[in-house]
Amino acid sequence: MREITDQIKQEITDMIFDYYAEECEVERDEITMDTNPQEDLGSDSLMFVELIEMTAEKYDLDIKLQSIGKYMLKSPMDTMSDVVDMFCKIYQYGNDIVNQ
Amino acid sequence: MYKRAFLFNGIGSKPEKLLVKFPPALMEKYEYYLDQAFTRLELNKDLERNRAYDGRVAEWVISLICDRVVFEHYIDQGIIPDIGAGYSSGIVSISSCFGSVSHEFAHDIIMMNRSTMKSLERDNMKLDMGIIIGMNYQDARDFLAEKFSEDEIIVGSGNSAFHVMISGSAEAVESALGYALEAGALKAFSFGTGVAYHHPVMKAYTTEYDAFCASTKYKDPDYPMISGFDSRLIETGEEVMRENIMNCYTPIRWDLALKELEKMGVTEFFDVSANGAVKKFSRVNKSKCKIYTLEEL
Repeated sequence: MREITDQIKQEITDMIFDYYAEECEVERDEITMDTNPQEDLGSDSLMFVELIEMTAEKYDLDIKLQSIGKYMLKSPMDTMSDVVDMFCKIYQYGNDIVNQ
Repeated sequence: MYKRAFLFNGIGSKPEKLLVKFPPALMEKYEYYLDQAFTRLELNKDLERNRAYDGRVAEWVISLICDRVVFEHYIDQGIIPDIGAGYSSGIVSISSCFGSVSHEFAHDIIMMNRSTMKSLERDNMKLDMGIIIGMNYQDARDFLAEKFSEDEIIVGSGNSAFHVMISGSAEAVESALGYALEAGALKAFSFGTGVAYHHPVMKAYTTEYDAFCASTKYKDPDYPMISGFDSRLIETGEEVMRENIMNCYTPIRWDLALKELEKMGVTEFFDVSANGAVKKFSRVNKSKCKIYTLEEL
């Protein structure tokens, strides 16, 4: 397991919010932790894949999409808070996220 | 030698999604081509008012018209391709944009899908296609092989490391999508179109389509193409015709075609779809290559 600092958590949060703001063409400050990425922002799974790829590249992670898919079966991404939480877990646990 | 490739998308995007990014000048051109095509083909621009199957093929003709508008816009901007590739019905689109057949003939090819759908209905064939996001070609192929025969379902198209299309019997597609989600797919959904393009079962139902594709002489394309089926280089009219004939019943390896283009030296890929759909499901080596969309230009 990789340690995650408050600074990294904030960096991940900023990256995710900036990404959705740009891709979904909304103002950054319109997005909150309670925003539903699909219903409120109109995001789709291909955007989600791109965000995973960006994260993997930024933090040099070797992550299988299927590990994330299995995790999402247990923990759906209903809010931005869920998304941030999951990306922090990806950073910490990599493919072992499926067991979290 | 090859630096810049144009990528043509297949059918699937709804007209409202295709048109939303068009600036006024392109919209005007689109309306002109639409009027010409729909008048000739006797299609209603109010798509819901078309007869059975006509509404569906009308959407597909719209997709081709959008491709033409974007293609001509790129050319007008001085963006000239060295090579191109067509994904699924994007083969029809690239055939006309690259000058092998007229745009009218390309529209007529699309209209021939009505005959295919009628043949399937006559034989009560229950077919479908679906998309799995989060699996690559080999993963999807392995998991399908564990549970189904290739007569039931195959990977109809390997698109990228995270995106595949499956094609076969409607029952198998529905089951496979459920299994895919259990296996960790991020998303899996069916098209519900009643056809299984890119599955060999379609060969028996596309005889009229195939005969129509072969009913004219194809010119050598203005620019070469790469086959989405086997990554062959296509330089003659005969080869373009062959691609069109085999299109409906031959599995696609879009992922390999893009890799081949990279090997040939292509670094600039231009998505000719109006809504940037090709870029979304395609991947190239980001450190060396970039896919541009209409919106970005």
